[in-house]
Amino acid sequence: MRTRSRGGLPAFLILAALGLGLAAVALYAAVGCDLNDPDRDVKRLFPGSTGFKTLYVSISKRGGDDLLKKIEARLGDNFTGLFETADVPYTMYEVYRGADLIGYIHGVNQKGTYGGLQVFLALDLQGVIKGFYFQKLTSKAGKAFRDPAFGVQFLGLSLEDFYKYDVVSGKEEPPGPVSRIKNPEPDSEKDFRAALRAVKKNLILVDEFLLGNPHLKSFQGHPS
Amino acid sequence: MKKLSVFEVAWKSLLRKKTRSLLTILGIAMAAWVLVSLFGFNRGYEASLNKDIDNLGFQMLVVAKGCPYEAATLMLKGGTGLKYMDPSIAAAVAAEPEVDGVTPMLMQVVFDPNKGESGGVAAFLGVDPVSFPKMKSALPFKAGGWFTQPEAAEAVFGYEVAELEQREVGDLYLIPEKEVEVKVVGILERTGTQDDGTIFLPLQAVQKIFGLKELTSIGIKVKKDADMKAFEDKLYKLPDVQVVSLSQVKTTIMTLVSTARVMVFSIALIAILIAMMGVINTVLMSVMERRQEIGILKSMGAMAGDVFKLVWLETIILCIGGGLIGTGMALITARLTDLLVRGLLPYSPSGGLVSIDPGLVLMTLGVVTAIGLASGVYPSWKAARMRPLDTIRSEEES
Repeated sequence: MRTRSRGGLPAFLILAALGLGLAAVALYAAVGCDLNDPDRDVKRLFPGSTGFKTLYVSISKRGGDDLLKKIEARLGDNFTGLFETADVPYTMYEVYRGADLIGYIHGVNQKGTYGGLQVFLALDLQGVIKGFYFQKLTSKAGKAFRDPAFGVQFLGLSLEDFYKYDVVSGKEEPPGPVSRIKNPEPDSEKDFRAALRAVKKNLILVDEFLLGNPHLKSFQGHPS
Repeated sequence: MKKLSVFEVAWKSLLRKKTRSLLTILGIAMAAWVLVSLFGFNRGYEASLNKDIDNLGFQMLVVAKGCPYEAATLMLKGGTGLKYMDPSIAAAVAAEPEVDGVTPMLMQVVFDPNKGESGGVAAFLGVDPVSFPKMKSALPFKAGGWFTQPEAAEAVFGYEVAELEQREVGDLYLIPEKEVEVKVVGILERTGTQDDGTIFLPLQAVQKIFGLKELTSIGIKVKKDADMKAFEDKLYKLPDVQVVSLSQVKTTIMTLVSTARVMVFSIALIAILIAMMGVINTVLMSVMERRQEIGILKSMGAMAGDVFKLVWLETIILCIGGGLIGTGMALITARLTDLLVRGLLPYSPSGGLVSIDPGLVLMTLGVVTAIGLASGVYPSWKAARMRPLDTIRSEEES
């Protein structure tokens, strides 16, 4: 026993040094989608909230390639590009009133016609949309998309409603609540579809990472 | 019976007090670690800084007087701070005998209302499609390449701006305010410089889109044998321009780094002195504890030189062991040191900041061995001077 404990010190030091080296490499991971000003934005999206907790999760850490495939299947499309990889850390905000959890905020990046879109959703504890917000948007129809009248159309919807929406064809069969969301600028159809895809992706990630997949069962019943 | 060598006796003596020997070795290892990392930083930083300056492609930048040419200033002042100079200045500079080449540039900044909650600025750099790529030949492309036509509605994105805008080669980009579409033809690799956040467009395209004929800056590549100082003075005679010499920038940065380095070297020196005192203390304690043993050795015929050699060898083994572990630790943690230094310094060049080569490792081992030799002299001399009768008597008394 004595011999083992004596050999443990140098081994520990070497392991600690190696651990620090590996941690340093991990710092080079890709960046996610954060609120520009969390203190201000959380209060705006959840009036009456008193605090929030920030969580960082990634597909690679939670389940790797298998989870990525599962998420892609629920989305009905493959992840592509710089911001849709398994190692992107997603920033999720748990919102509190006092000690009570009252909802979540999560944003995703989505490729648009002229630049990246950042779509944030405020959700209640069941995953129902309570707020919709473009943090970043480069589009010829930027003004129309940022108009509150556009965002209001998403309120009350959940992942259940988006399962029937095919992000590739941009159609919902049979037509349902998502089909009723109006594109404010028909010339910017690509950005409109990008926004819908971002919302569906956002809802799937929240369901997977925060809600414990209560909407997974209904997906298995109605794959898009 | 097997005859033991002096080395074996010294080794066995050290093993008898394993914890003490290990802690002494670790003390020396820490000092060696600091020493290698500091010298490695010294070499790596200067090499990376030189590389960055060479990669800039030009050694001098002529800007209109009062024109912010740096990203941070542009972000703060937006397009309002931009001042312009006549394109004829580029021709005048190019005619100077010291000049190897010039590249005219036009920076434009626009307000993008769709960036964030309350908008933000987007910066565009119009560059000459012929002279600029030639001067910046070291700029690596992640995908695509430079635009070829002087007025093409095409853009090359720096790495970070491409990430932020999620643009790939072949995608479109909309210039805010002007509502002009440009096609992305190239995306640069990450360089760690201002280029990462820049959108490059052909100079004439920027002049056309923004309705300007002027320039904001001219990059100058100076001939190798030219007198930079004299040429700089000559450029100051041009009306309403200011000159930014990169050799000045480099000297300023290196002066700042040298000041910090002197302080850190002082700390390293103290660490080495502490390690040295630790070695002397450890070996001296060991000698005192082994008075009787040394006395017996001497009474059996060991000469003062043999005892001196034995104790001295123990010290050297401790120091070389610590040196090897310390340099190994420095090699393993070089990447971490790099990241920590980057976090502390106001400016860090791209590329590795810590460069450890075999020469540096050998030099450190040499220094540590020299410390061992110096530290071991007094305890060894003390042990060699012990008289057998005195040591045996003192044991009996105690």
